Amino acid sequence: MPGPCQIAVSCRHVACTASGGLGVAMGEAGPEHVTITIDGVSHEVPAGALVIKAAQDRGTYIPRFCWHERMNPVGMCRMCLVEVQGPRGPMLVTACTNNVADGMVVDTRGPTVKKAQEAVLEFLLANHPLDCPVCDKGGECPLQDQAFSHGPGESRFVEIKRNFAKPIPISDLVLLDRERCILCARCTRFSDEISGDPLIEFKSRANVTEVNTFPDLPFSSYFSGNTIQICPVGALTSAQYRFRARPWDLQMVESSGMHDTAHPRLSVQVSQNEVLRLVGVDNDATNHGWLSDKDRFGFQYLTSEERLTMPLVRQDGQLVETTWAEALDRVAERIGLIRDEDGGEVFAVIGGGHGTNEDAYAISKFARVVLETNNVDARLDDALSSHFLAATADRGLIADIDGADTILLWGPDLKEEHPTLYLRVRRAAQELGVRLVVIHPRATGLDDRASMKLTYRPGGGFALLDEVADGKHPELRQALSADRVVAIVGQASFADGPQLAESVAAYVRNKAGSARILPLARRGNIFGALDMGLAPDLLPGRVAPDHAGRAALAESWGEPPAARGKDTRAMLEGIDSGEIRFLLLVGADPVRDVPDPRRALLAMDSAEYVVSIDLFLNDSNREADVVLPAAGFAEKDGTVTNLEGRVQKVNVIAPIPGQGRPDWAILDDLAERAGRPIGLANAESIAKEISEVAPAYTGITWDHLEWEARDGAVVPLSGSQPLSHIPVALKGDNAPTAPLLLHVGRTLYDDGVMLRHSPSLRPLARGAVVHLNPEDAKKAGAQDGHPVRVVTSHGEGEFSAILDEGTPEGVVYVPFNQPGGAPLGTDAVVRVTAVGR
Amino acid sequence: MSHWSEATQERAREIIARYPQKRSAVMPLLYLAMAEEGYLTNEGMEEVARWVDITPAQVQAVATFYTMYKRRPTGRYLVSCCTSISCMLLGGDDVLHAVEDESGVPHGETGADGLLSVEHVECIGACGGAPAVQVNYELIEGVTPDKARDLVRWLDTARPDVVNTDEMQELFGGVRSFDWAIREGEGAKGPYPAFQALGTVGREGET
Amino acid sequence: MGILSELIKGLRVTGGIMIRTIAGNELVTTEYPKEMRVKPQRFHGRHVLNRYPDGMEKCIGCELCAGACPAQCIYVRGEDNDPDNPKSPGERFGYVYEINMLRCIFCGLCVEACPTEAITMTHLFEFSTTNREDAIYTKETLLMDRRGSVPHMFPDDELVDLDELDSADGWVRATAPSGVAAYQGIEMWQGTPGPGDWSPEPTQEERDRLSRDRTSDG
Repeated sequence: MPGPCQIAVSCRHVACTASGGLGVAMGEAGPEHVTITIDGVSHEVPAGALVIKAAQDRGTYIPRFCWHERMNPVGMCRMCLVEVQGPRGPMLVTACTNNVADGMVVDTRGPTVKKAQEAVLEFLLANHPLDCPVCDKGGECPLQDQAFSHGPGESRFVEIKRNFAKPIPISDLVLLDRERCILCARCTRFSDEISGDPLIEFKSRANVTEVNTFPDLPFSSYFSGNTIQICPVGALTSAQYRFRARPWDLQMVESSGMHDTAHPRLSVQVSQNEVLRLVGVDNDATNHGWLSDKDRFGFQYLTSEERLTMPLVRQDGQLVETTWAEALDRVAERIGLIRDEDGGEVFAVIGGGHGTNEDAYAISKFARVVLETNNVDARLDDALSSHFLAATADRGLIADIDGADTILLWGPDLKEEHPTLYLRVRRAAQELGVRLVVIHPRATGLDDRASMKLTYRPGGGFALLDEVADGKHPELRQALSADRVVAIVGQASFADGPQLAESVAAYVRNKAGSARILPLARRGNIFGALDMGLAPDLLPGRVAPDHAGRAALAESWGEPPAARGKDTRAMLEGIDSGEIRFLLLVGADPVRDVPDPRRALLAMDSAEYVVSIDLFLNDSNREADVVLPAAGFAEKDGTVTNLEGRVQKVNVIAPIPGQGRPDWAILDDLAERAGRPIGLANAESIAKEISEVAPAYTGITWDHLEWEARDGAVVPLSGSQPLSHIPVALKGDNAPTAPLLLHVGRTLYDDGVMLRHSPSLRPLARGAVVHLNPEDAKKAGAQDGHPVRVVTSHGEGEFSAILDEGTPEGVVYVPFNQPGGAPLGTDAVVRVTAVGR
Repeated sequence: MSHWSEATQERAREIIARYPQKRSAVMPLLYLAMAEEGYLTNEGMEEVARWVDITPAQVQAVATFYTMYKRRPTGRYLVSCCTSISCMLLGGDDVLHAVEDESGVPHGETGADGLLSVEHVECIGACGGAPAVQVNYELIEGVTPDKARDLVRWLDTARPDVVNTDEMQELFGGVRSFDWAIREGEGAKGPYPAFQALGTVGREGET
Repeated sequence: MGILSELIKGLRVTGGIMIRTIAGNELVTTEYPKEMRVKPQRFHGRHVLNRYPDGMEKCIGCELCAGACPAQCIYVRGEDNDPDNPKSPGERFGYVYEINMLRCIFCGLCVEACPTEAITMTHLFEFSTTNREDAIYTKETLLMDRRGSVPHMFPDDELVDLDELDSADGWVRATAPSGVAAYQGIEMWQGTPGPGDWSPEPTQEERDRLSRDRTSDG
């Protein structure tokens, strides 16, 4: 059988890349070292490290199933038995539960150890079905590999193996095959230690032990996909990847997840030109190898039947397919006409937060050079100030979370919006003993690990901040006065307004010994987009339009327009009032995405000319004049920047369907046709241009990211940045007073355009629901699961009521942009009435 | 929200208060849940999960590990025959078969009339008096297959409200391991609250 | 030396052979395609996909053949079996199976790699097609029908020693009863190499009862 041997090799390769980082035990061991002997060779290893980890780092692989670098050891599988010379003679011990000690003598391949390993494998295989050819894990299976490398080769068990019904769907995404399970507890430990939702556990005992869920309570974790990845056998398989490919016909390339701004590192795996799965890659700086299910399974939109494949132009009221030349010439002609009539002030560009930095740079240059306008914004009216997001002083790193004394989280529910960060904060609070303070209008996913939790009424954030400043919450003040404080701030609720987060940051900065600030924003590459100048008051490289740094830019681009542009809200209002005549949407769907969609709807209705570059037809570009097909994730290479300013390389591996093209190529072509070429040749040369004209990106080249800084490089490399924004305390609106206040928050799964076209995740969106405190529900006459009518001054709709103790009295929580849910706008005052009374 | 009786809830609060961490109370609470409904239902496990703030799956992990948490309705008398090594060597399996044969209830199941449940158990700590049988966790030592048949017939006809070790040992037992062992004359009223007599679950000082 | 005598010398050889051939002693030419030569037993001819004696497909879509193929001429995709109407025993069957015969080098590594002996080689060798697309053999062409033959330009021709095919049965068959509803009461493994003799696969009811006994703890 030549197949499996080949498989074993390729699999080992994946394992290597996946475990590139420092282990937990080593990372904290400090500089102290001890000397141990492994297989007769003496090594200096960090004191306190586990034997298995120390050996691995010195090049000796000890076989294992249950031990995982990012989780606490349990010693369940017994595969890592090694012989250690002890006071009572040589003894077999598990390498994953024993720490190194000075003078320790470890034997990992002597006859005793070999016999033990073979015995363990023979037992593990006693009931393990030999269905590797039909098993999804076959070919990349640690059990298969280690049975080849360390196993006895033959079994003495001739009895019939046990049979269970299979596969059992333990959630919509994960399938369980109990016959294959070797009870290593990796999945149960992950859900308990890492993701904090232990919905799977061991059941029963002895020879009938199995991993399972509680009856009728599925494993509906946001992180369930990780258990598939760390399962050392094929017991947990992905419903979506099941039987789609075998490991040896996959091609792979490393990239970064674009569903959350932390940019978890992952490997994109492709067969027959189709992206089939994403697998987490261990990266110390960001994700530790974990992915949220949205990052892991949210790629199916790429192969959706509804992807745009041809340029579309409006003809007799219909969008019809045409050639690129025809479509672009039309747009170019219109741009020329409008620019000659009214100048650059009447152009608007919205979007760019989902693409690469190269795309964003092209948009930025296109807007300034061809459209002669500063009316560009990658934020969709739901983000903090652009200077605060792009260039705040004391910007923290994600890794700062681990070493903090206090983490202040005043912003959205991380579990719902920033899952990668959620796992880091949870680990810090749970495993590293960091004090965590959570401030949010209702219950969040981190409450169980918070040492302090404050809630406030939507819109009442400033009042609470004043209270804190006045000394009303001494415990909180004390926690914030610690030496190292990391403040993770963002907009918790639409009612809060964008100023609150910056004021909180300013407060923490004044209070703490040394504060590190991590501002939150939505859309995958929003930080990259802002760094490329996709904001009305920023130019590429974190330069304000009036800053001296623009000189280099002016040399390359010609003088950019000086007037401060309009932000998204002003642009939408401008379209409605006729000030804006031309709108370019780049991967943006304002009708679905801005907090108050009435404004966007009005704008789309009254817009004179709309051009959209997108993957799909959506609610905003359905009425556009020209729609151009773009390239999606894994279909273009480039760089992206995450919330800490880390620039990483993303790579291309799949072809663009139809005639789609990357954003930069479309805009370059369009600029050419409009008579103002912007001279972009390919993504790599754009990256080079960025490093030349954008001050904060000096030194960031693809070569640097692919060779020296494989985990990404944090900009600016030199340490100083052209624009350093110091957070300031701002004044907020007066808190609304009404018996019921509306809190609209995002959830991980919603009706966004990418998820809508991902069949695995689409059914997981919550639907039109409203969370009510049982007391409020009683007053409104609402019952659990029954419909209620929710009315604000901006909108109204029917929602299914969920009685929820986690929502405080007087607060009404509605998840944003759900399938079937009506938009409610930003007004916090809300009325709730039971339907049918 | 709890569907336990007020007394049980009061008891649960007391038990939880004894431990520095809530989840430590999961096992005594499972007995409460069992006493409340006669056996451990999924709803009972969910209730315990709410009380101690862990997930139902975690409660299930504990409840399914220990065989004395009964997840199916148990008969009025639970006959447990030891088949661990000492009892096995001295004919424990024969005793079990005699019980099964006489009652018509295979081990692991409950008779249709709900009178008897038969199970085989691992060591019940009476190796000195093997083979041993328990009725509602009240011990009889030195049982022979014939005596076991007598025992089943006696349970069927006499249907005692309270089964008592001393009485049953007198009637059906043989060799005892320790004559001087602790005597507790109270007996057991059913299979599920059996540990209350030993103070494992009840208030402190209560026997 | 006359040219005539030389000619006669030559024709004597021709005539001699002609006479001997007509006499029927040394006939070398066979009347292909009316007549077929018997191929050696290990002849590497075109592939077939086999079935179990009960009619189920042996191919489980594992792609090991595709992985082993040095010419990369095999393309396989697996798919879930419908539990009520399974195509193969177990969870998965070969949904797409294609061999590009223009690329195939007839090395037989796919046969070696196959864990179920689903793919074997026959004695057929006639492949001529009038366009390249027809040279890509699909599952329709490859899968053996119930009579033990495949679509072929000489349907009466002997494929291979059928007794040998019947006796062989790879080392993997279904391992879970959930996928083998149609296989109850039939011997699980045939008497090919393996430890011990095997009794028929128990019915689902029997298995349920067995597993109930094992899990009865309350």
